[in-house]
Amino acid sequence: MKHLGKYILMSAVLVALMAGKAEKAYSQDMDYKAYTLFLYNFMKYVEWPSTEGDFVIGVVGDSPVKKELQELAKTKKAKGRPIVVISVANPGDALLCNMVYIPTAKSAELKPIMEKVKSKSVLIVAEREGLAKKGAGISFVVDDDDAIKFDINKSALESHSLKVASMLVKLGFIVG
Amino acid sequence: MKSLFSIVFLLLLFVRSSLAQLPAQKDTFDYYEMSLEQLLNLKAHGVPSELEELINSLILAASKRPLTARESPGIVTLITDEEIRNSGARDLIDILRLVPGMDFGVDVEGAVGLGTRGLWAHEGKILVLVDGQEMNEPLFGITPFGNHFAIDQVKKIEVIRGPGSAIYGGFAEYGVINIITKSAADLPGVSLSATVGQMENAMGRRNFNLSAGKKTENFQFSLGAFLGQGQRSDQEYKDLYGHSYPMADNSSLDPTHLNVGLAYKALSARWMMDLLQTTVRDGYDSAKAAAYPIDYTSHFAEIKYAAEIGEKKKLTVTPKFNVKSQVPWETEWDRDSITEDYSKKVQRYTGNLTASYNLTRKINFIAGAEVYWDKAMDNSNDSSYFSNGEKEVRYSNQAYFLQGLAKTNIVNFILGARYDNHSNYGSAFVPRVGFTKKFKKFHFKALYSNAFRAPTIENINLADSTGIKPELTGVLEFEAGYQLTRKSLVTANVFDITTTDPIVYFVGDSLHLDNYKNFGGGGTRGIELEYRMRDKWGYVIANYSFYTAQNKEMIGDYMVDDDPSMLLAFPKHKINLNASIKVGKYFSIGPSVSWIGERYGYTENDSVQEKLDPLLLGNIFINASNFGAKGLSVGIGCYDVLDSKYKFIQPYNGGHAPLPGPSREFLVKIVYEVKKAKKGK
Repeated sequence: MKHLGKYILMSAVLVALMAGKAEKAYSQDMDYKAYTLFLYNFMKYVEWPSTEGDFVIGVVGDSPVKKELQELAKTKKAKGRPIVVISVANPGDALLCNMVYIPTAKSAELKPIMEKVKSKSVLIVAEREGLAKKGAGISFVVDDDDAIKFDINKSALESHSLKVASMLVKLGFIVG
Repeated sequence: MKSLFSIVFLLLLFVRSSLAQLPAQKDTFDYYEMSLEQLLNLKAHGVPSELEELINSLILAASKRPLTARESPGIVTLITDEEIRNSGARDLIDILRLVPGMDFGVDVEGAVGLGTRGLWAHEGKILVLVDGQEMNEPLFGITPFGNHFAIDQVKKIEVIRGPGSAIYGGFAEYGVINIITKSAADLPGVSLSATVGQMENAMGRRNFNLSAGKKTENFQFSLGAFLGQGQRSDQEYKDLYGHSYPMADNSSLDPTHLNVGLAYKALSARWMMDLLQTTVRDGYDSAKAAAYPIDYTSHFAEIKYAAEIGEKKKLTVTPKFNVKSQVPWETEWDRDSITEDYSKKVQRYTGNLTASYNLTRKINFIAGAEVYWDKAMDNSNDSSYFSNGEKEVRYSNQAYFLQGLAKTNIVNFILGARYDNHSNYGSAFVPRVGFTKKFKKFHFKALYSNAFRAPTIENINLADSTGIKPELTGVLEFEAGYQLTRKSLVTANVFDITTTDPIVYFVGDSLHLDNYKNFGGGGTRGIELEYRMRDKWGYVIANYSFYTAQNKEMIGDYMVDDDPSMLLAFPKHKINLNASIKVGKYFSIGPSVSWIGERYGYTENDSVQEKLDPLLLGNIFINASNFGAKGLSVGIGCYDVLDSKYKFIQPYNGGHAPLPGPSREFLVKIVYEVKKAKKGK
């Protein structure tokens, strides 16, 4: 009886260690597949002035979303246009894109990219909440229940000559 | 004994290895063609694992705002209906004993109450809520435990293991137990359950529960009815003077509980009746010649309207009105003068207006006011009166509360306070501040809160000439947690509790003369560790808790003479292990174990405290779901497998000997659910 407490504790620790060893730690990582599905729908519900050539998506920095977008590009088109995914290494690269995705870790790049693209028809989508208010066309929101939502800055989109379908406006939160 | 653990351990390993090899199913669904509406249901962090679903489920109790358990500004234990069902818990004692730091003690006249982090919390220091209704009675502030509440009706229990006064006021000094029963949405249909328990020498319990619910687009209805008979123990009780009696047939615990909820759009109403009929023979100190009844009768009613204002519904205003009428500790005088005549009815009328405003999605303010009126009536036929010399006394209390919550990318910040002003004992002001944040696999919480215990009507009535005032507590807590894998989480927290001017019960010239007075201090500090693993095969929850009263000012009646770091009745060290393992399509095995370290209490009338050896409480419950018929579950269990015969110790020097708990008890539980299928996908 005297050593039973130790025995229980040891058993619990052993179980814990075994569980920890067997499972790779993926926990709490973002599901970029889900984000890619949103981006694909943005391509459907936003109208660009030009419908010619490839549809170029630029990803700022190194984000897992790039790999997911490349998977998308293998099987899907943007309103009939082939999808091409490139890396945006400097703000000037954004001028090559129809859509630019700014991951959370690269949020500071929003301002230089905005300054570079000015009124060009580039949809800037930011992963971090609140960036639509600061000039991005769309930024994502994760609510208390972990569900993905999005903010839309209509005036920013209009300043880039982008038209937004009413469906997108209806389902997003208008912030500008 | 060792073999029991070996079996449990091997079972865990077996199930782990057999389920890890399941093949992935071929996926033919074209995700890319999902509509935007469908996408809005997607989770940012993907399909959560079973564990993530639990630890990211939203908790309301600690902030009145939905925050995940890992970010909620409180040290929280969430207990699900699944865990309750799989453990086969007989009552709330079985459930709460598995919570870090919690254990039970005996007060007087058979009443068993809760202690937490080494501190006796029975009299008005832990708030027990059932569907928002305060169970604590306003005469002494207690909630009696043991074959009392309808645990088959429970959807989840949010246990705040730290202070809650800044939100909930004067009964939430050391913690909050927020019991939420199944709503109409949780039980579309009818659920019936019957439980029979047999101890070694007597019937343990015979309980019956009916739950029903119906939900339409605008209307919800739920009903819970619980009826039972039980006994505290079948062991022999021996008082400090050597008198003894068998507790079989002298310690009944017969509950009747009705709970009706109605909701139409934003308007909701609830009515609840809770009756616990007990028989006791232990008295205050010396065992009585015969058993006598003590009843706890409560009625609750609530009406609430949650008005969402504005196009964006940023403002929610919730007026709420509650009435409760309670007659606790009711005894009748008998010809043999075994008991005194105690029958006091107390009615509390509470009005509450709370406004919640979302300034942005990340910034929320809550402000509100609450006022209650108490009316206590002494219906006994003896010559007792309240301190005002009347058979009736009235008090009122006004409270104002404010809370701001801001979620930023760096930290979540909460600042709140509550101010109470009572017509008799004056005011109490309790601010709190908290920082929490989850960074992927890691989370932390840093919390400081003041709390208070409101003097109850009998505290005021039985106070000495210096009067009584609220006791105040400051609690500092830190928690850190790390998600080892998608299926496992470890958390550790430390706490430091300091209580000043505690309201202390002491025995006057006659043992039947209660007195209350503010004096001395109290508090503990300690650590709590928890490990959770959850997968498709089941789960394991293991925790360890430790407290010390070293260097805390403590009242002599609560202290252990031989060890100044310990307090009477509560173990310094405690370990719990709770698991459930699915076996095949129908079966689950639920072992649970509590190792309770050495405890101290008075066992003889020699003013010498005795050390009670550590003990191990082992339980096992085997359940078969949908076995033979859809919706039918049959479970069998054995509680206190090792026949350790736990005793509830009195946590203060009140002249009461340890009260035996149940001996080894065998249990059969049958549940039959007729659920209406939900429409749509």
